[in-house]
Amino acid sequence: MNSTTNKYLITALLIGVIFHGTSIFFTIEYTYDALIHLFFGNHYANSWFEPWSYSWYTGFTVMGYPPLVHQSIGLLSYIGGLKFGLFSVAIIAIILFITGVYRYALVLTSNRTVAGYTAILAVFSSTFIETLHIFGQLPSIVGISVLMHSLPEIYLWIKVGKLKYLINALSLISVTVTSHHVTPIFGMVFFIFPLIGMIIMDAARDKAGSYKEIRLLHFIKTFFGLLRRIITFGFGSLILIIFCILPYWINTKNNPITQVPIPHGSRDNFLEVTSSGLVFFLIPWGVLLFLLPYIWYRFFSKRYLFFGLSFTLLTILGTGGTTPIPRAILGDNAFNILTLDRFTLWASLMALPIFGEFAYRFVEGDLRDKIKRRYGNLLHRILGGLLGSAIVLMTFFTMCLGYFRPLQPAQIKMLPILNFLKQDQHDHWRYLPLGFGDQMAWLSAQTDAMTVDGNYHSARRLPELTTRAVERLENSKFRGVEGIGSLQQFLTVPEKYNLKYVFSNDKFYDPILYFCGWQRLRQLENGIMVWEKLNVPPLSNILPKDNVPLFQKLMWGLIPVLTVLIAFIINIQLIWIHALKSKFKAFPVYFKYGIEYVGFKKSVIRASFLWAIAMCGIFAFGIYLLYVKNVTQIRPENVITAYYDALDFKEFQRAYSYLHPGSNKSLDQFMLEVSVTDGLLSSYAKLDKLTIEVLKQTDTSAKTKVSGNWITPLEKIDKAFYHELKKEKGKWYVLPLDYDLDIPPDQLFSENIPTYYNHGRRRITSEQTHHEDVLKQPVLEVLSARIINNEDQYYIVGELQNVDNVPSDVVVSGTLYNDDNIELASYNVKHQIKHKLMPKETTSFRMNFEGIAWKNIDDQKPTTFDPEQFTAVDFDGQPAKFNLQCAGNVATVDLYKRVVINDLTVKNTGIQGVLFNSGLREVTIPQLIISYYDSERKLIWVASKYLPEGIRPQRKLFFEYDFEDLSCAIMIDESMENIFVNGLANEEISKKMVPERRHDQKQSQLIPIDGKGFKYVKIEINNYVGASN
Amino acid sequence: MRIGKIHIILISISIFCCIGFTMIFNMPNSPTKVRLKTTQKTYEAGDNIIIDFERDTTLAAQLFLKSSYGSTMITSSTGEFVVPDYFSRKKGRLDYYLVQEGECLYQGVIDIEAKSKTKIQLETYVGPPSIVAGGEDYTMHVVVPSDIYDNPIADSTKIWLKHQFLGLEKEYEEVTKDLISWKNIFSYSKKGKLLISSQIAEIHSKEFTVEIYPSLAQNFKIYSFREHEYADGNQVTTFTSDVIKDSFGNIVSDGTMVNFVIKNSEGSLLTTQGTTVNGIVTAKLLHPDHADSWEISAFIDGIAESEILEITFDGVLDDFEVSFDMYQREIVVGPLTSFMGQIIPDGAIVKLEIYTNNELIETKVKTSFEGRVKFVLEEGFYPDGEYDFRIKSMGIAKWFKNRVLQ
Repeated sequence: MNSTTNKYLITALLIGVIFHGTSIFFTIEYTYDALIHLFFGNHYANSWFEPWSYSWYTGFTVMGYPPLVHQSIGLLSYIGGLKFGLFSVAIIAIILFITGVYRYALVLTSNRTVAGYTAILAVFSSTFIETLHIFGQLPSIVGISVLMHSLPEIYLWIKVGKLKYLINALSLISVTVTSHHVTPIFGMVFFIFPLIGMIIMDAARDKAGSYKEIRLLHFIKTFFGLLRRIITFGFGSLILIIFCILPYWINTKNNPITQVPIPHGSRDNFLEVTSSGLVFFLIPWGVLLFLLPYIWYRFFSKRYLFFGLSFTLLTILGTGGTTPIPRAILGDNAFNILTLDRFTLWASLMALPIFGEFAYRFVEGDLRDKIKRRYGNLLHRILGGLLGSAIVLMTFFTMCLGYFRPLQPAQIKMLPILNFLKQDQHDHWRYLPLGFGDQMAWLSAQTDAMTVDGNYHSARRLPELTTRAVERLENSKFRGVEGIGSLQQFLTVPEKYNLKYVFSNDKFYDPILYFCGWQRLRQLENGIMVWEKLNVPPLSNILPKDNVPLFQKLMWGLIPVLTVLIAFIINIQLIWIHALKSKFKAFPVYFKYGIEYVGFKKSVIRASFLWAIAMCGIFAFGIYLLYVKNVTQIRPENVITAYYDALDFKEFQRAYSYLHPGSNKSLDQFMLEVSVTDGLLSSYAKLDKLTIEVLKQTDTSAKTKVSGNWITPLEKIDKAFYHELKKEKGKWYVLPLDYDLDIPPDQLFSENIPTYYNHGRRRITSEQTHHEDVLKQPVLEVLSARIINNEDQYYIVGELQNVDNVPSDVVVSGTLYNDDNIELASYNVKHQIKHKLMPKETTSFRMNFEGIAWKNIDDQKPTTFDPEQFTAVDFDGQPAKFNLQCAGNVATVDLYKRVVINDLTVKNTGIQGVLFNSGLREVTIPQLIISYYDSERKLIWVASKYLPEGIRPQRKLFFEYDFEDLSCAIMIDESMENIFVNGLANEEISKKMVPERRHDQKQSQLIPIDGKGFKYVKIEINNYVGASN
Repeated sequence: MRIGKIHIILISISIFCCIGFTMIFNMPNSPTKVRLKTTQKTYEAGDNIIIDFERDTTLAAQLFLKSSYGSTMITSSTGEFVVPDYFSRKKGRLDYYLVQEGECLYQGVIDIEAKSKTKIQLETYVGPPSIVAGGEDYTMHVVVPSDIYDNPIADSTKIWLKHQFLGLEKEYEEVTKDLISWKNIFSYSKKGKLLISSQIAEIHSKEFTVEIYPSLAQNFKIYSFREHEYADGNQVTTFTSDVIKDSFGNIVSDGTMVNFVIKNSEGSLLTTQGTTVNGIVTAKLLHPDHADSWEISAFIDGIAESEILEITFDGVLDDFEVSFDMYQREIVVGPLTSFMGQIIPDGAIVKLEIYTNNELIETKVKTSFEGRVKFVLEEGFYPDGEYDFRIKSMGIAKWFKNRVLQ
């Protein structure tokens, strides 16, 4: 081999390692995947041979992902910690990638200079930058890099037939498969098949004399000549693909992926969802988009024909849902499981050598000469400058994408959370992070505590998760009804999962936590709010796991690292030995098939020019469209849309700019009015849909009705606003709405209220809480409870009172039985209850029996979001009896009870009223709990309504409520026999605590109404106080 | 290799030898004579217990020990078996069996008693930690005296159970029975802290606390306080109660929820609520913005209630001015004045109902600013024509009929 070093390769390696190696420290932790790999790495570092991990999903097996990269991180972590392992592996991946591209380019172009150019371009290729710095897909990069390393060996084996090459090739294939399982399978089709085609072409050329003279017959003959070697290689690699990660295949077979597919941006229509188009099409292609004609021209030359076919197929598959072709090719199933961005990745990598060749010809080859000769020196320089700046721009843009549009929440300091979990045996329960992004994996990697959530969705096990397209509970707000629905189930029945702590990094989830009966514990130093649920039992000491046979554990633990060792010894070491011996060695055979770079075709230059100009045109048009979309004030509808959009994104200054300038409202005044509104609508809602109806319009004024749908964690809010608009100087403006001018009675006022503090553990000791420090569970009394069938669904409604002398948190769980005492369903009361009761306070409650939504694949899924909706349990029989278990625990927080009903107008269809906050704290979300009674004053139904606005102290809030139609409500059972409070019979408690209960009091507390199916109602108020000061 | 006669003979001899020796070793032993040398049958926990046998010590024998804490097998080369301390420290019956080659040669029993001459430890449990006053509810005080090895000491040991409540200190003498001693302490009629301790000989337990909470509340009286009697919609009426007590005169516990139900002259039920502090509950409600009379009653749900309290509010104005501009499109209501003739505080609600052809087409609601409210009827929305208006504020409604908008 030529003893001179390839200076381009060395340059590429130096730049690559310095550029990527330094920047990964600022990017890779913010990527989508890197922290997941880190978590897996940590698993191997701690238990190399044990594939079962309890950390996520109530336990899962790590045999669901090829282990090499994770094991490498684990191994390296012994030297300098987990992050050291991650960064080292990333740097190794960078080196492997650059050298891999170089070797692949060498096979393809047979020109060391061109391959050198390719290596340099590979360093700055936007697809690589994106995969590494934005997606963090290390296994994918290692896989494809090693696959590219194997290509020259495969070429040599098939062409020359020396066993040495076969062994080299197979050793590299096994490294590929242990690092990423999809790469070798698809790589076979998309990289190795075209390579084999090219080898046959080369061999046929040897016979025919030149590529031009190759005919089909030559080709077929040559093919049969090489068939034995191809089959040997094919079978060899097939066996390796199966054998090296055999436990993976066994696991896949035993636990087939029966989950509902999770939507992925790469399957979108890129023209409709432009953000997906940017990330999954524009960025990976980058500068290559301008060179497509040249790439196709070269790929469809006879030698590269098969690469051309493969490249075209990859390009089409990479377009996702933009055209129906990918779905047709892959079939519905594969289309919904695979992420299609990998096809674009492979296509753009495949084209790199051609790009390198172009660059070479443009910088120092025939293209340069041609352009210079025909169009002069200047144009060549300009073009060079343009191309160079395009590459620089693209690299800049891709590297900084994460900065402009953060993919992850800001970095969370984990130490306070880790300390919290370690303290006081908090890790004896499961926890749930909310709003952490992929940093939840980093948290899991550092703690022994377990979470019900997880970040590797193929391994999800709980049906609550697998039946929905919920990637993680942690980001469930982005998954609409399915996400929030899943989350609500986990929060309502946390006992089932031993879930006691929630770490919330997103205020959005606070209301749902509160109304599901959780309470704030405290805010950690890093700003994370810890929520806890009382009455949740700790995890058992022994947890179930799926065991696998020893041989699988050994294979999984030993083979991957072994493949690397073997590959290292037979590939790298041999090269060193050769180098040391400095014996002259001939060039590999593929070197003789390179083409002379002379006579760049005029037509190609023209086509390229035209294409580039067309691309520029398309880009310009796209930018223009984007601009036009933002013209806001040409019609009343536009300005209303813009106004609401600005309010939704909290861009108040922009919203102000749509207000009529003559309305005498200053920006300060507007901002002030906005800042004093709090509540579900202004603090926790996301605008979903806006319907604008122009009621009246003249030339200069208009009146509109705006019906908005807002999504909140609790419910969907439909609300209508009326706006008047005015036109001035050709622009429409919104007239500001009146705001409440009411002045509260007192400037400064005070109040005496009891507040509580519970020491928990009085002695500072690490021992379990001493028995004398354990408070008695507050005694509750269930006053009434019954099964109600309303519109073919079963509910338990009832009333209960805290008859103790201390405030209590209330957990109510109920079970339905049929006549044969067979259990039908069991659930907890979710939000139709006041979860915190003062001494002697009463609450009504209603329990829904929720099943797991859409358990059957065929079930129709709702298309719009409705957090109120739940899937009722399918009963195997008719519920006839019930059992109620109530538990009280001393509560010391969330006891604000100062909202009163100051005015009430009652009609038979509904009520209108005014709430008044008579206390000292601002209520963020008031909830009305409305109990319906029949003519005998028996409770038959409980409903709740969240008011969209908050109430500040001494302020009023108007509300309206429409009664429900209860003509279909049937009482099934009202036996109080099986009701237990803190494990004791309710009847006993009733006799002992309030022996002479005065039932007549109800008469004067219920509002008589002649409603549909009910005669009386009662209104209770539950308050969520947002700021926890 | 050929198999010769010599081989067959050698093999036969060796098989014969094997069988022969096996038979010799399997020969039954002549019954071994065993005699217990140790005479002591009762020990105290912690004593060094040695079980000594007179027997043929050339043959290996083992002693199998069994007690309520578990079983074990011990060996000895001399014939003296030393019972390990994890057995000798536990009170109770200890069975032992001398075993030789699967055969039991001797069987005996030792009784181990709690150690008497050491410091006694008291294990005390009290629960529940809170009870209700009145003498019905009780807490249970359980004492388990034990020796240094945690063995409960013998029955009929004397124990003093003591408690203190307010000015009272009581002491009961009890004896242990079935290892424990216990007493139910019934609540007194007062609320307070009950401190409990126990004593055995010179040893005292630590202090335990049981909270006695007040019993159920009795009926109570309520009062109202307001700055004035006018229905200006802008002041807070405060409802309070007298000190709410249970039947024993205890003030109910802080935080007791009291619901106030207010029936207004329309028959609607308004509600406010408060929690007691030192037995007194305070609840607030805003004055109505129209003349009204309220009937207030307060409840501690199912337990107690108040007498009915009645208060009335006088309207602040009898009439208000309304002025129309010349096109009838700008309507100014006000100045709204309050009881002293002062401008009503901002926020008074004014409703404008707009009718055409006796049909309500729109209701506009605005709040007053400096006593006035201005409604503008834009030309674009209200075409020229005849309209009726009804303006309502502070409980007063006025009609303006047949106004022609221009």
